[in-house]
Amino acid sequence: MKRLLLKYEKKGYAGFLSHRETIRLLDRALRRSGIPIVFTSGYSPRPRMTFSPALPLGVEAEAEYLEVAVEGDIDTAEAGKGLNRALPTGLRVWEVQALPPGMPKLSKWARYGLYTVRDGDGEELLLLPLSGEKQGKLGDALEKMAVFRGGPLEKSDVVRKGLYASRFEVFEEIEGPVFLYDGESGDLKRIEGE
Amino acid sequence: MTAKIDDFLSRELPGVTRPGRYLGIEVNARRKPLESGRVNCCLIYPDVYEIGMSNLGLSILYEVINDRTDSMADRAYLPWVDMQERMREKGIPLFGLESRQPLGAFDLVGITLQHELTYANVVRILKLAQLPLMSREREGGHPLVVGGGPGAFNPEPLAELFDFLVLGEGEEVIGEIIEDLKQWKYMEHEDREGFLEGCASIPGVYVPSMYEVAYRDDGSLDSIRPRAGAPYPVRKRVVADLNEVYGPRVPLVPLVESVHDRCSVEIFRGCTRGCRFCQAGMIYRPVRERGENILRDWAWEMVGATGCDELSLTSLNSSDYSRITPLCDRLSRELAESHVAISLPSLRTDTFSVQLASRLRRVKRTGLTFAPETGSARLRATINKGVSEEDLLRTISAAYQEGWRRVKLYFMVGLPGESEEDVEKICVVVHRILREGDEGRPAKGLRLMVSVSTFVPKPHTPFQWVKQMSMPEIARRHFILKQGLRTRRVTTRWHTREMSYLEGVLSRGDRRLLPVIIAAASEGCLDNWNEMFSWERWRGAMEGSCLDPAWYVERERYRQEVLPWDHLHSGVEKDFLWEEYMKAGRGEATPDCRWDTCTSCGACSSDMVEISLAKEE
Repeated sequence: MKRLLLKYEKKGYAGFLSHRETIRLLDRALRRSGIPIVFTSGYSPRPRMTFSPALPLGVEAEAEYLEVAVEGDIDTAEAGKGLNRALPTGLRVWEVQALPPGMPKLSKWARYGLYTVRDGDGEELLLLPLSGEKQGKLGDALEKMAVFRGGPLEKSDVVRKGLYASRFEVFEEIEGPVFLYDGESGDLKRIEGE
Repeated sequence: MTAKIDDFLSRELPGVTRPGRYLGIEVNARRKPLESGRVNCCLIYPDVYEIGMSNLGLSILYEVINDRTDSMADRAYLPWVDMQERMREKGIPLFGLESRQPLGAFDLVGITLQHELTYANVVRILKLAQLPLMSREREGGHPLVVGGGPGAFNPEPLAELFDFLVLGEGEEVIGEIIEDLKQWKYMEHEDREGFLEGCASIPGVYVPSMYEVAYRDDGSLDSIRPRAGAPYPVRKRVVADLNEVYGPRVPLVPLVESVHDRCSVEIFRGCTRGCRFCQAGMIYRPVRERGENILRDWAWEMVGATGCDELSLTSLNSSDYSRITPLCDRLSRELAESHVAISLPSLRTDTFSVQLASRLRRVKRTGLTFAPETGSARLRATINKGVSEEDLLRTISAAYQEGWRRVKLYFMVGLPGESEEDVEKICVVVHRILREGDEGRPAKGLRLMVSVSTFVPKPHTPFQWVKQMSMPEIARRHFILKQGLRTRRVTTRWHTREMSYLEGVLSRGDRRLLPVIIAAASEGCLDNWNEMFSWERWRGAMEGSCLDPAWYVERERYRQEVLPWDHLHSGVEKDFLWEEYMKAGRGEATPDCRWDTCTSCGACSSDMVEISLAKEE
């Protein structure tokens, strides 16, 4: 049994699909794609898959992840095309990657979410811990940010840019300041890379 | 307008419940644009998305219309109240989900009438669309508002809203309508009335404005008079060979999980079991089965097109299909590899059906449901349900042996001639099942889900003349059952009495009810949602129109009485229905013409349509 990691975006109207609805549509698309997926056992078998942490309804995303168990050899390019033919507008697979054995599970590494928050003409970056003690809710973080910025912020002004294992990993990709929200203490602070 | 609607959606979607209902980005959506050279149709289910997306009739029409080069079909459903509120506030008219064009921009707006409790929703739809409500108020380029579905067999309470309605099966007649409409559009919608009169000559098309209804002093109908050129009666459309037309082959994949979240292969139409309360069993006659190979290929095509995990073999009574065992064996063997489960939604109460269901359990264990309808042998004879208590026990025993521990049972109360003792028999049967359900021994661990509905007399059935039971009488029956079924092994589900009563008012209603529906719709809608339904609202509306609900519901009709749907013909003759009604009183059985002799009901006599069964291929 191998694992495939899919990276997909959720843009436009697809941002209004709930986590559950998105899972259902990806399940359907996987079944249609011809990828030899492995099913769970039991009374109602489902594709054996895990998802990145749920995205709140109404939030778009540039890079969400799905891990699915497969059998046999996969042409990853073909798999991506097959999936995109079976997905609604707005859900689009950008990358299909066969994970070498030993790679950490999605749930182990997808621990921080990085968001862009549209604010008037500019935008801010928000980093949110999605698991562990400091885990925070996007709504709470936005409320705090709004106080900072002096005006309300809506979920529809937010796009999740990506998922990261640590805050340090974030700064390998971006420069400049990021708001970090600590769900445990409720503190919001501005941090920068080294 | 599209830009305005897009703007509205991006602003309002974050604040409404289940925004997935309003996106229109479904996989397999055709998204054909509206074009002046085309007949542009919008198909509407007058309830929320999750219910509407499960409707087979509309998905068939969606495919037929979009497959033509000279027409397109978009879809709309009734938005939930939070969205309705925002649309009204912002002046956004109801729009097609895919094109985001207002309903007024279409040439044809097709509304299906599946259930009486959606009638207020129909009014809401037209109001939200900002269209003139009544057919006579619409002119020139206003869309044609067309009705269909089982409700079209007595659409009288809503008739004046529709420019015309289609009786019976739509997949052939829609082409004829599109051809006529294309011509008329080319003529720049000249003489709307004349155009409608022309439509009346298409078989199956009913133009309500061409019939004059007169009433007597006692409130009953005096006559229904057709204007010159209008057919009397209007006969329903039937597709003679269902192997020639089948669909949908590439159905839409709902974004929000729908009530029946599965693909449907319709294995046959019609049912001739002859249950006397059942409207579907009368209006969809005769039985026409599809060939086994067509069904098998169709099933594969749909699984490939949707990635669905469950395929349903639908019909009014799927164990009756002539080739059901070989079809199920083959499909379940083949589809198991793709992890697609097969379900049979309507099964006969017999051990054969249990064996069939067992065969289908390869992928997923689905529930088992049977409909004994009543506990009393006398009433079973009245309604012509040829299933004995012993049959039911044998069936449940077989299911228990096969490992089922949860069985759903459907019962009805308020049947004609039903006494309280008859109702008590339901409790007796249920307890007997628990006590003897394992081949005479107690069925340990068996749980029963008992669903109790109220009998509502329907037009075009042998019981179209009978009085419906009053609410206090039904309450008394519910009480008896609640007392008698009080055990933790039985879960009960009740249909709300007031809802069944309203269903009774509307199902055999006449044109005088339209102001009532309009008044009720102005204060509410979505009546089949418990949290939205209010009998008070409807009673107030009836009072406002000086109409008595009991006159419609609790009144026995006499044989010669002109019934509001007398000008609409389902194929089954009124004399046959009356004869069946009389036999019901005597407790006489009428055999099923699928296996027995012809009952001369009339359904086969016209249009070369006759019973056709699948053969070994």
